[in-house]
Amino acid sequence: MNTAIHNVVIVGGGTAGWLSACLLAAKRPELTITLVEAPDIPSIGVGEGTWPTMRGTLAAIGIEEAEFLACCDGAFKQGSRFDGWVSGAADDSYLHPFTAPPAGAPEALIAAWAARADAGKLSYAAAMTAQSAAVARDLAPRQPAMPGYAGALNYAYHLDAGKFAALLMRHATGRLGVRHMAARVTDVVKDACGSIAELIIDSGETIPGDLFIDCSGLAGLLIGEHCGAAWIDRSDVLFNDHALAVQVPVAADSAIASATIATAHSAGWIWDIGLPGRRGIGCIYASRFMDDDAARETLLRYVAKAVPGADIAALAPRKLAFPTGHRAEFWRSNCLAVGLSAGFLEPLEASAIVMIELSLQALCANFPRSRAAMPIHAERFNALFRYRWDRIVEFLKLHYLPSQRSEPYWQAQRDPAHVPPRLSALMALWRDQPPSAWDFPQVEEIFSAESHAYVLYGMGFAPPPFAGDCSAAQARLDEVAYRSRALASALPTNRAILAQHAADPVLERIS
Amino acid sequence: MSQHVIIDSVSHRELRVLGNASAALGDDVMAAMALPQEFRQLQACYPIVFRRDLASGQISALALFGFESGENLFLEGEHWDAPCKPMAHAVQPFLIGRGAADDDTAQVHIDLDHPRVALGGANGVRVFDEDGSASPLLENAAQMLGDLDAAYRASGAFFKALERYDLFEPFALEVPLADGSKHTLVGFLAIDEDKVRALGSAELADLHGEGHLMPLFMALASVGQFAGLVARRNARIARA
Repeated sequence: MNTAIHNVVIVGGGTAGWLSACLLAAKRPELTITLVEAPDIPSIGVGEGTWPTMRGTLAAIGIEEAEFLACCDGAFKQGSRFDGWVSGAADDSYLHPFTAPPAGAPEALIAAWAARADAGKLSYAAAMTAQSAAVARDLAPRQPAMPGYAGALNYAYHLDAGKFAALLMRHATGRLGVRHMAARVTDVVKDACGSIAELIIDSGETIPGDLFIDCSGLAGLLIGEHCGAAWIDRSDVLFNDHALAVQVPVAADSAIASATIATAHSAGWIWDIGLPGRRGIGCIYASRFMDDDAARETLLRYVAKAVPGADIAALAPRKLAFPTGHRAEFWRSNCLAVGLSAGFLEPLEASAIVMIELSLQALCANFPRSRAAMPIHAERFNALFRYRWDRIVEFLKLHYLPSQRSEPYWQAQRDPAHVPPRLSALMALWRDQPPSAWDFPQVEEIFSAESHAYVLYGMGFAPPPFAGDCSAAQARLDEVAYRSRALASALPTNRAILAQHAADPVLERIS
Repeated sequence: MSQHVIIDSVSHRELRVLGNASAALGDDVMAAMALPQEFRQLQACYPIVFRRDLASGQISALALFGFESGENLFLEGEHWDAPCKPMAHAVQPFLIGRGAADDDTAQVHIDLDHPRVALGGANGVRVFDEDGSASPLLENAAQMLGDLDAAYRASGAFFKALERYDLFEPFALEVPLADGSKHTLVGFLAIDEDKVRALGSAELADLHGEGHLMPLFMALASVGQFAGLVARRNARIARA
């Protein structure tokens, strides 16, 4: 029972599998890691937005930023812009930027902003961070001379998920010593304790392992089928269950947006992710409120308007149906689910890839050295990630609550019967006080109080009354205003800096 | 070559100015004009020497970066290894211009042929915002040009006063280098320390009253920086 954990077997490629392999191999070089990937299962390839954590992740696994950008058609993402979520009017738009507001008491900063907003129609995000000015101008978060992974503003990436998985695979197998087997898992052999002992693949070979990581996607090959971890459905809170996705080529000199653009429609929303060569656009909808034809029409109408010159007739939208929910347990016995096998929620705040990073961060920092310790780690992991999935569900739901849209879908989204009780309580509390760390007490909260404030006040939620002195806060906002002007003039456009990156030769490290 | 024009928000809307230190951007110079008002900062880094313009007979001051034309010993690749630079060098590619003959108002000009000037692209900082208002860079440049202009106008009195007391002397510096070679730096003027010591109280009071004593002593103190300059040159020889 007290054997050492040495052999890790990852089932499934894609972003989850290869990112897990790279992180484990880089942080736990003593392990032997095998990744089994069925050659004929296409990766779902929609997770194309990351969080700023990805910079640290890529640096940790030893990939240079220039190589990453060049190999994955990467672009800089500085936040998410939400169009049409409040009223649907033409000027209805707000930003959830990655850069936090200035230091200082949030209630004073919010009051200082509210005092200005009356005068000048200054959005909350534009008052709180210079990032708003950069995003409004399609600017990059840094100047070309700054080193990789450094920025004047906090940033993440937009990327081509297929190329990203390919880069991670080359890196894992070529530089980090991960063994890659192109084979389909046909059966699972358990030991006397009910742990997974080995996998049987289609050639008849067996792959033994001490710890198995299930990155098989929505199938949940190990965690669901063989370990019996239950699925908790969250579609009572988040209604969207289908997406129609297209990739639209863009002109070589067109602007590249600095944020994911999420545009609301009558029964869902449309994502728009700009890469140097194409835009990934998808219509997310709730089939209960919209049929496929209407979704298709909504999508194509958006593309025609948002991408001038796009050849609409040539587009062939790909339909995806997705469940909304997550496992009741992510780690059972010696099997850990990472990626879509752990859960899936609509990609409104790009939470999919960051949950992979967070899962591996928790695993690498607390890697079980023995079988005996495994249940203790599993229990802690499950408690932490149940908390995190709950917080994501609630944060995504928050995006719907301050809306004033009147379509049946939007009214149903706001129906108190479909709002988690904890979130309802917070919404009541935020009428009296702004979101604060007291509302999100964990050391590593997935969404900070600042993020909640960007959404709330971006959507016009009334700032709480404040009677204190906000002169210091006004001075902070003056500094943001100056920095906004300075950065707007000092930063290059995404197109200009990425063109320069593309022109630079990339020296690929072989070993 | 240089092409000086008055800066304007229509023709120069997309102009960007490259701010990093680099030989290719015009930092490969052995000296730059130094003004008495900035001697206090400059003497902590650079030797300050003087030169008489042969045509006009006017004296001006220079902060030295190297010993021969094109040599800047403070420039290490893209890093300028000193906390301050003479204003006249730091403000490039901007410069002060004057309007029509009678109009003495200072204007912000730019040298369009300066290597720091870029048209668009990813590098550098915009001079104008996209709506045509001055960017913080241009605001700072205008402020620095104003300071420079005022300091330049005030400098004439300093040089005249030192000439009045005949305090300049021709100056030759032996530069022995680590590789055994010897060089002599000639053609500059320095302040004659013995003559300064010999000044009487009325003369000192006169110089003090006009505010010239402080820059005078700062220039004297800066001579100590020659040792640092020689050390930088020797370090380069050692690396070569």
